[in-house]
Amino acid sequence: MTIALEAVALTKAYGSVRALDDFSLSIPAGGVFGVLGPNGAGKSTLFRIALGLVRPTSGSASLFGAPAGDMTSLRKVGAMIETPRYPPYLTARDTLSMLALESGTRDADISGWLDRVGLGGAADRATNGFSVGMKQRLGLAAAFFTRPELVILDEPTSGMDPAGIQEIRALVVDLARKEGVTVILASHQLDEVRRVCDRVAILSKGKVVTEGAVDALTASQVRLRLVASPVEQVLAVLGEKGAADGPDAVLADISRSEAPALIRALVNAGVEITEARWREADLEGVYLQTLKSSGAA
Amino acid sequence: MFANAIAAERFRLLRDRSTLFWGFIFAPLVGFFLSIAGDIFLRQLAKKPLTGMPLDLVGQVLKALGSGASVFPALFLAIGAAAVLAGDYRWETWRLLTPRNSRPHLLGAKLVVVGEAILWNLVLTVGLTLLAGVIGASIAGKTLVVSGSGAGLGQIAGVFAVTWLEAMTLASLAAVIAVIARSPMGAVVAVVVVRFVQTILAAGLGAMAPEPTWKTLAIPAYSADLLRGFLAAPNHAGLETGPVGVALLVLLAWAAALAGGAILLFQRQDLTRE
Repeated sequence: MTIALEAVALTKAYGSVRALDDFSLSIPAGGVFGVLGPNGAGKSTLFRIALGLVRPTSGSASLFGAPAGDMTSLRKVGAMIETPRYPPYLTARDTLSMLALESGTRDADISGWLDRVGLGGAADRATNGFSVGMKQRLGLAAAFFTRPELVILDEPTSGMDPAGIQEIRALVVDLARKEGVTVILASHQLDEVRRVCDRVAILSKGKVVTEGAVDALTASQVRLRLVASPVEQVLAVLGEKGAADGPDAVLADISRSEAPALIRALVNAGVEITEARWREADLEGVYLQTLKSSGAA
Repeated sequence: MFANAIAAERFRLLRDRSTLFWGFIFAPLVGFFLSIAGDIFLRQLAKKPLTGMPLDLVGQVLKALGSGASVFPALFLAIGAAAVLAGDYRWETWRLLTPRNSRPHLLGAKLVVVGEAILWNLVLTVGLTLLAGVIGASIAGKTLVVSGSGAGLGQIAGVFAVTWLEAMTLASLAAVIAVIARSPMGAVVAVVVVRFVQTILAAGLGAMAPEPTWKTLAIPAYSADLLRGFLAAPNHAGLETGPVGVALLVLLAWAAALAGGAILLFQRQDLTRE
């Protein structure tokens, strides 16, 4: 299996603050990989190290086996890091032309890419008049137009309207699935990540807290929802493993093997159970639960 | 790869009209208009054509080139150089460029393009000085003279090259300050202050020791003046070639050391927030 991005024992310290702390992660080539985490978790630092913008304090990172920041690896990468910015005197077309010259790309379809991200009508406008959403779109075109093997996107849809978000999401999925581009995507929009990503890693305080396929992560945090009365009695039996879910239901954080014993105990305690159903956690639930367990939330 | 970086940087500068005008066109234009205004003033003062007064075009060009990197033009060259060299810190656009080319190429290309722009700035200075001479002569009624003919062209080429090299020492200094301060304004202020201090030091030390010494030769402005004086003097009379060679080496060494230092610093710099 080809590894697109690999970080081994990566540490980046800014004074006494460790943005990445003995951080290790392996992202396989192919598909869309989500990187989640609260502000300051180390997502942008990871990307900046991968792109050679920042040097690690210790440890190593590589892209397709070549050291991060090395031009051999960077030739295969397109990126949009944080809110993209551009020289204000350049138009959108000039910006892409300049970047094509910089990377030695002779056959870039600049007009086609501007159309594809919805900037065809603003191609010859100076970027200093662009809205945040338009800058994001241009950043996406800049990341993709040289046909890289890996694209790193940091909050690609922030500042966009819902229609724009949907459009860009479809574009990312299209490129990843049809053209085999590996996409690494950091986003605070968990719904976006759930819809787009195959695998995710959740970061907290500069470390990977959990990592895996989206389906496996949500399935691993399945909970039993009981509609029962009296609810207080159910909560008393469950203790710390129970949480109220509305006025007449409780979510039990137990494994499937524990369920029969629990139901028996509740019936013996005089609880009337009208419904018992397993409920898979959504990505937001997994995210919040993971951060809670790691002490970050 | 380096050629790609130069092409991209040149493409950018040609679209940055404000930097092009203020950095590399404005100062020669001011020289041109001041020269014309001087001739109009002279004509008004004399109240008659100054027939018979010679106007040596070669001398005018040598004089204009000689002050091509003095404090006033240096201020505008610094504005242009700083916009090119530190613009990506100001606009936070290094993150767009650094994944596409190596850092030595990126900063080296900026220095090459600034060098090209300074070259065109000096060509413009020569052109506008010649034009101002012709227009001024017709206004004031002076007689145009071209001294030296072939030798004059050689003098102009030599003084042109020395002034370009002197300006490149300032551009390289701007590169170092741009990387350290991450600010165009910092680079402009540093270049102007350093150029001004050089003028004071060169004049002060020159007055104390009329013959060139290691101390005076270490000042780029002094070395450049010495070289220009040597090149402009007829038959290079009265000047030893030893100090002249040292002066040339000093200018080359300053430009190379500062440019190399800037590239080295940039290569090791974290671009957390440009």
